[in-house]
Amino acid sequence: MIRSIGYAICYIVFLLGIWATIVWFFEIPHFILPSPDRVIFTLFSRSHQLAQHAITTGIEIISGLFLGAILGFITACWIGDSKLLQRAAMPLLVVSQALPVFALAPLLMLWLGYGLASKLAMTTLIVFFPVTAATLAGFRQFPEAWEDTFKTLRPKKKRLFWLVRLPLAIPHALSGLRIAASVAPIGAVVGEWVGSSSGLGYLMLQSNARGQTDLMFAALVVLSIEAVLIWSVVNRLSRRFDHYSTN
Amino acid sequence: MLKINQFELTYPGQAVLATVTWSIIAGTQIALLGRSGVGKSTLLRAILTNQDPCIQVLTERIAYMSQQPALIPWRTVVDNLMLGAILRGERPNPSDTDRAQQLLQRVGLSGLANRRTNTLSGGQKARVALGRALFENAELVLLDEPFASLDRSTRIQMADLCGDLLANKTVLLVTHDPRDASDWLHHTMVLTERELKGPYHLDDFSNDRALIEALEGDL
Repeated sequence: MIRSIGYAICYIVFLLGIWATIVWFFEIPHFILPSPDRVIFTLFSRSHQLAQHAITTGIEIISGLFLGAILGFITACWIGDSKLLQRAAMPLLVVSQALPVFALAPLLMLWLGYGLASKLAMTTLIVFFPVTAATLAGFRQFPEAWEDTFKTLRPKKKRLFWLVRLPLAIPHALSGLRIAASVAPIGAVVGEWVGSSSGLGYLMLQSNARGQTDLMFAALVVLSIEAVLIWSVVNRLSRRFDHYSTN
Repeated sequence: MLKINQFELTYPGQAVLATVTWSIIAGTQIALLGRSGVGKSTLLRAILTNQDPCIQVLTERIAYMSQQPALIPWRTVVDNLMLGAILRGERPNPSDTDRAQQLLQRVGLSGLANRRTNTLSGGQKARVALGRALFENAELVLLDEPFASLDRSTRIQMADLCGDLLANKTVLLVTHDPRDASDWLHHTMVLTERELKGPYHLDDFSNDRALIEALEGDL
């Protein structure tokens, strides 16, 4: 663990070195590409402002992740037991994923306003599909060798679902959630780009318009840290349920 | 208990193997012996699913032990043993719990009652699965290679246990190993790629040559 953190720090320092060298060597103006030290200075000098916007984006990501995961999981549970329902719902699910969230953003703004609701809807939409698809895959993981044995046990359908099929699907649902956690910030940031008054996406747009590229980079760094933190928490929580597996 | 009339054993996309006509009288215990791939397990599953019009099973109370133990890995040994009752939502009564404990003792796993089954060895898992099939107390018991993963002495103990607990049940035990067709079973039927033959008795397989002839191939 310590060794891998050490490697990561060395790698980051190496990349920052290359970045700084390029800026210095080609004499790139700071409003095109600020040097790393300038971004780091901005990170500290504007930390209060960055933190405020990070909280807004964090709330959007976490609440969207939560809502999308719950809706995705419930949908998969609802249709997971019926091949007919799955056949009917799958095209709709695929369409919900195929439609780029960028295309829906203006509509969501129109319907839900410029506040939290539209960003929540965007993030929920982006999280919903990976969780639903992964949970459905989990329901299909019922081992073939178990089918005959379980049939002779004459189980009640509901009990079989709650005691066997659902726990079997949980590790798959959580792997979907891990994927969702890595894409959830996209929903929040795109929502902020289209229309908002706070959040890291909003800050990026504002600083871009004012030529404050260092602040834009600083917002990007904070967003990356936030995304990694959220993913790590989801990853750690989801690993606790790995024992619900046939392996 | 079971009537099979002109049932054609096939694998998907392949020619028909044997055509089976067979009736099993209630209360008899029979071994179905055959080389690997002749369709023993396929026949057993056809009986179990009871969907083919050529097969008539006169009971709904069937216990089945598949080749793979089919245990829920995150539940305990005793839960897996009583899984049928749990999944049917039956309230656990003291006599059932006692019977489960006794069975665990008989299969040599009483010390592991509260262990999760994903921590057990292959042989231990097979014994839990056998215990579950016995716990079901069904009229028709179908066992698919129940002793395959057990060592010789455990195999004998488990055969004795089956002999004790399944004495008045209808049993069909599928195996490729003639040593499993031990004396607790009434007789042995042999399934080859062409037909179902029998009944045979243990004495009929007193030497390897007789067994090879019965199986119509190498051991």
